[in-house]
Amino acid sequence: MRNVTHTYPRPWFLKIAISVLLVSATIGPMIVAFADEPQPDPAGISTGDKGTTFDAAGNAFVVTEPTDKTAPDYAKNKKAFDEFQAQAAKEPLVIKLADNVGHLRIATNFTWTLLTGYLVLFMQAGFALLTCGLVRKKNAGHLMMLNFAAYVFAFLAYWVCGFAFQYGGAAINAAPTNLGGTPTLNHFLLGGGLWGFLGGRGFMLSGPGYDAGVLCLTLFEVVFMETAAYIIVGAICERISFWAFLLCELFIGGLLYPSFGCWVWGGGWLSQLGQTMGLAHGYVDFAGSTVVHGVGGFCAMALSVILGPRLGKYGPDGKARAFPAHNLVYVVTGTFILLFGWMGFNPGSTLGSSDLRVSVIAVNTNLSACAGAASAMFLWYFIFGKPDITMACNGMLAGLVAITAPCAFVTPSSAVMIGILAGIVVDLGVLFNERVIHVDDPCGAISVHGYAGWLGAVCVGIFADGAYGAGWNGVGVSSYLGKAGQGVTGLLYGDYTQFFTQVGGATFMAIYVFGFTYLVFSLVNVFRPLRVPKEVELEGLDVPEFGLPAYPEDELVAAEAAGSLARA
Amino acid sequence: MKRIDAVIRPSKLDEVKESLSAAGVTGLTVFEVKGYGRQKGHTELYRGTEYTVDFQPKVLISVLVVDDLLEAAVKAISDSARTGRIGDGKIFISSLEDVIRIRTSERGREAI
Repeated sequence: MRNVTHTYPRPWFLKIAISVLLVSATIGPMIVAFADEPQPDPAGISTGDKGTTFDAAGNAFVVTEPTDKTAPDYAKNKKAFDEFQAQAAKEPLVIKLADNVGHLRIATNFTWTLLTGYLVLFMQAGFALLTCGLVRKKNAGHLMMLNFAAYVFAFLAYWVCGFAFQYGGAAINAAPTNLGGTPTLNHFLLGGGLWGFLGGRGFMLSGPGYDAGVLCLTLFEVVFMETAAYIIVGAICERISFWAFLLCELFIGGLLYPSFGCWVWGGGWLSQLGQTMGLAHGYVDFAGSTVVHGVGGFCAMALSVILGPRLGKYGPDGKARAFPAHNLVYVVTGTFILLFGWMGFNPGSTLGSSDLRVSVIAVNTNLSACAGAASAMFLWYFIFGKPDITMACNGMLAGLVAITAPCAFVTPSSAVMIGILAGIVVDLGVLFNERVIHVDDPCGAISVHGYAGWLGAVCVGIFADGAYGAGWNGVGVSSYLGKAGQGVTGLLYGDYTQFFTQVGGATFMAIYVFGFTYLVFSLVNVFRPLRVPKEVELEGLDVPEFGLPAYPEDELVAAEAAGSLARA
Repeated sequence: MKRIDAVIRPSKLDEVKESLSAAGVTGLTVFEVKGYGRQKGHTELYRGTEYTVDFQPKVLISVLVVDDLLEAAVKAISDSARTGRIGDGKIFISSLEDVIRIRTSERGREAI
């Protein structure tokens, strides 16, 4: 008969926190939009019109009136505007058709964004399987519960304030035109203009947040946040207590991820460095090598350092011991599900299939995945004599992580190169963590997501060929590096500044995320240890934490239960 | 009455079962066990870290025989379980104090 050796804390601060949450959940929906601000469109009946009608090259159907009388091409633009006005007056039916077309374009993009978002959601299952398979059998239930609870609690934190922090000011510098521009997200809580630090609209997804376009963006972005939220499981599992884990999830969903996400995707200061400090196109990360994976990976690293390695991982001589995966079937299946979900992750980040670059992105993503797996497998074979299945899977995932930032900006051949580099990085990273710095990472999350994520952002600065991304972050709208239509460009194609911006931004991410996480959770650890007691860790966390083993039929406990049922 | 415990290769279980049946032995109990004899363990690698594999999976068969059937049973097991390679296993013979059939409470030879 097992004794309950480990109970949950039920201190007063937990009760207060829950009360605050319930009160704000009741009050939140009552927040209405302010009168003199853009009005939210919750029914989606005023989103998408002739103003959102563009041709393939991105030229708008509607010609806007030029406002700057001192501009050199003012006369030309004014003439074009006058002609458009005259034409529009003569053909009112065409204008109505343009309204329909504009709406249809937005509707197409909504479909795209939501469906790719659902694919990313499915990656939760993939990661759950992958990490569960990589740990010991006695912790299988614990791993599944961590992955499950990660989705639940990080989502709620993102609803309360995460989305608002990340995208509250999106309309200022980073309006998602493919979704109608989300004009109600127009305020920074911290900072302003080109130096935004935290968004301030859309708390509890109410008032200005209760809008069809905004919520389309929310669905897509929340599943990206969830990806960062579950990454930490891979490094902290088998020894983190459940209450501490929930705190980590609230932290990631509510503050850590949204803050960096605001700076890069929400129109915040990192993305505007091109305009503010002349740093190429500013810091560029297409689908989140650093925003998602780097943040997850380095947060995981900080937590793993605070927790310390698993009991018995390192012998008295400092040599590492192996804890073999309990189910390789889960590991490979999980990897395939993640690969499939990544077809939503990268191509979806255009926020619309009206952007035909999506096909290039999809192919680049797959190429890097395969190149990463192959390179990791071969390198491991050359070093150790047998290709390790788990390292092959980690290699594929590293390839996927590393292509996530550059996928829209590179050629397929570059994608293969990036994958090869990622496979090497993950192999060496795993050995480095385990043998050199003694940071215990059961699933390789730090290497796959942290190190390869950093690599991905840097690869934008190396391999981007300028074929896509003209006007990115508001830089080089009419021309860049002397060429009209030149997009995001890297070192190999002549843009040194972009390379240094990428290295700087990615490194800054690593330091910020590791530092912030380490600070907060070292403090928490002082008040109450994040780690489970020794006896719990040795027994396996399934029963002490959750009361049920993942495989009850392996244990006499279930046999007893079955027996008593038969008696009654 | 004798108890025969035989540690054999898992892949030989079917063959041994057939030959015991042919030799006239009714009933047997099978355990999945791990063990090693004079054969040493070997090291494998998991994500670059060595771990030793000392124990080999084996099967332990337990049969009860009357004294007359002992040699026939031992020969049946030996011949069918042997491959000639290290790791074929061992047979242990012990004396049986008593045996009881639970359903009918028979004891001794009738219960085998």
